[in-house]
Amino acid sequence: MRPGYVWAVLLKEARDLLTNRLLLGAVAFPALVFAAIPTGIVAFLEVNELDPNQLGQVEGYISQFPDLEPKLAAQGFIVLNFMAYFLLIPAMVPMAIATQSIIGEKTARSLEPQLATPMEVGELLAGKALAAATPAVLATWGVFALYGIVNGAIADPVLTRLIFNDVWRLAMVTLVPLICLLSVLLGIIVSSRVSDARTAQQIGGFIVIPVIGVAIAGFFSGQASFTMEQIIIGDLVVAALVGLALAVGNWIFDREAILTRLA
Amino acid sequence: MIEVSGLAKRFGSLSAVHDLGFTVGNGEIFGILGPNGAGKTTTVRMLAGLIAPSAGHARVNGLELGRDSQRIRATTGILTESPGLHDRLTARQNLAYYARLYGLRGRNLRTAVDRYLRVVGLLDEADRRVGGYSKGMRQKVAIARALLHEPEVIYLDEPTSGLDPSAAKTIRDFVATLRDAGRSIVVCTHNLDEAERLCDRIGIMRGTLLQVDTPARLRRRNGTAAVRIDLVGARRPGSFLDLLGQLPFVEAARDEDGALLVEVRDPRADNPDLVRALVEAGARIVGVHEQAATLEQVYLDLVGEAGERDADVARIGEVA
Repeated sequence: MRPGYVWAVLLKEARDLLTNRLLLGAVAFPALVFAAIPTGIVAFLEVNELDPNQLGQVEGYISQFPDLEPKLAAQGFIVLNFMAYFLLIPAMVPMAIATQSIIGEKTARSLEPQLATPMEVGELLAGKALAAATPAVLATWGVFALYGIVNGAIADPVLTRLIFNDVWRLAMVTLVPLICLLSVLLGIIVSSRVSDARTAQQIGGFIVIPVIGVAIAGFFSGQASFTMEQIIIGDLVVAALVGLALAVGNWIFDREAILTRLA
Repeated sequence: MIEVSGLAKRFGSLSAVHDLGFTVGNGEIFGILGPNGAGKTTTVRMLAGLIAPSAGHARVNGLELGRDSQRIRATTGILTESPGLHDRLTARQNLAYYARLYGLRGRNLRTAVDRYLRVVGLLDEADRRVGGYSKGMRQKVAIARALLHEPEVIYLDEPTSGLDPSAAKTIRDFVATLRDAGRSIVVCTHNLDEAERLCDRIGIMRGTLLQVDTPARLRRRNGTAAVRIDLVGARRPGSFLDLLGQLPFVEAARDEDGALLVEVRDPRADNPDLVRALVEAGARIVGVHEQAATLEQVYLDLVGEAGERDADVARIGEVA
């Protein structure tokens, strides 16, 4: 793997993405929406001085945050509970970029001239994967930072410390990039089998189902946040899936298959 | 220099190319003519190191196909069937991207990009997105892309497709200068006129090369050549047809527009005997003109015959 080729593809893809406002919107919008909903609830509680008992399950919140007053405990539970949705951003966004990128190349028939250069297929795919994953990781990290700071500013700095806890810092550094990678690889595999971006994204959309399942399970379990063990198990499971997807992607995306079946 | 011997490519049970053999020297333009599905693109993809042959050997600039494919790709320029540009990037950005992939950096990269933008006449439009370009402009960018890294071997698939006559001539002239600079060039085309004007030798292909020669020799070698004989005097041309029918070297003869049109196997050998026989029979000949077969006729005859052979083989296969 020669970094010069990967970098050239990454730069080209970045240029391409920066001129595509629709796709840029698709990167930024979901991240902001996922962050805005719990922040709105925290702000609503703060402004309206609601009795936390009206939210239900208040005993659950208070028992998880015994040092906090009931309203702040409720706000803490809400901001942490919604954070599972941060895992949806790396699942959804790179998929959209990767499928758009590869199917766009198939439609424009621009894969062949690239493969006619000394660049290897792995270098092309690595450049594309990085180009699709980087905006999603950056968007997730950016919104995570914003989420912590804004909620702390609205309610209490305690919320910032709760959000930037060890578990979620580890998740941001390990689980988010791994989910991004898995999403990109699935996007590449799906793109190799269909000829339009919409179909690819619809098929690829299935990747978000397990993540939504995890988020919903977290919501109904009454547990405010993941534990360190759960994040590590998540890392291992996603890493294994990445390995599997890499093997399948490598098999599907050889030069000859691209030119004779895909391009 | 390209040397090909016994090259074949199969996709499952389908044989796309078989028993392919030819050479292209330095400073030569070799044209491959053939109908759709004849294996032209597959041949170019194999020789450009894009797909692996199923059998046979080829050396491109001394590099062995299969073993040195990456180095072959580095020294080969290819104009693909479709321009395949990145529509959201400008022409300059498109070319700069490919220049990087071919290993150019810094000043060398900028010089190469500017040089080829100038060659194809797009320097003034270089900073516009290619998505807004006409078909001809896109083709020019694709041609510039194929030449950026000064390749020794160049494959051009329909190089003047979509270009207006003036731009097509510019490109043909430029390709001729590349030949003069010693490059080996393979041109795939359906445009027989272009092949005849541009190529030093032509191979007519349908799965394999049916014939390879210079355009002039291909015309002469294939089919009977016609000789037009203009007559004056009281006797009508039609009155000589019985005589011509008795001459062993005459394949066919007819009266056409007040002249005799006689088909012979070898005009150079047969014309003196033909003229003598007519003069002895009282013909007053004022002109003898050889009418060689056109490249189009040769192409259609060869491709048609090969198509019939393929159909026969398929029928025999079905019966068996």
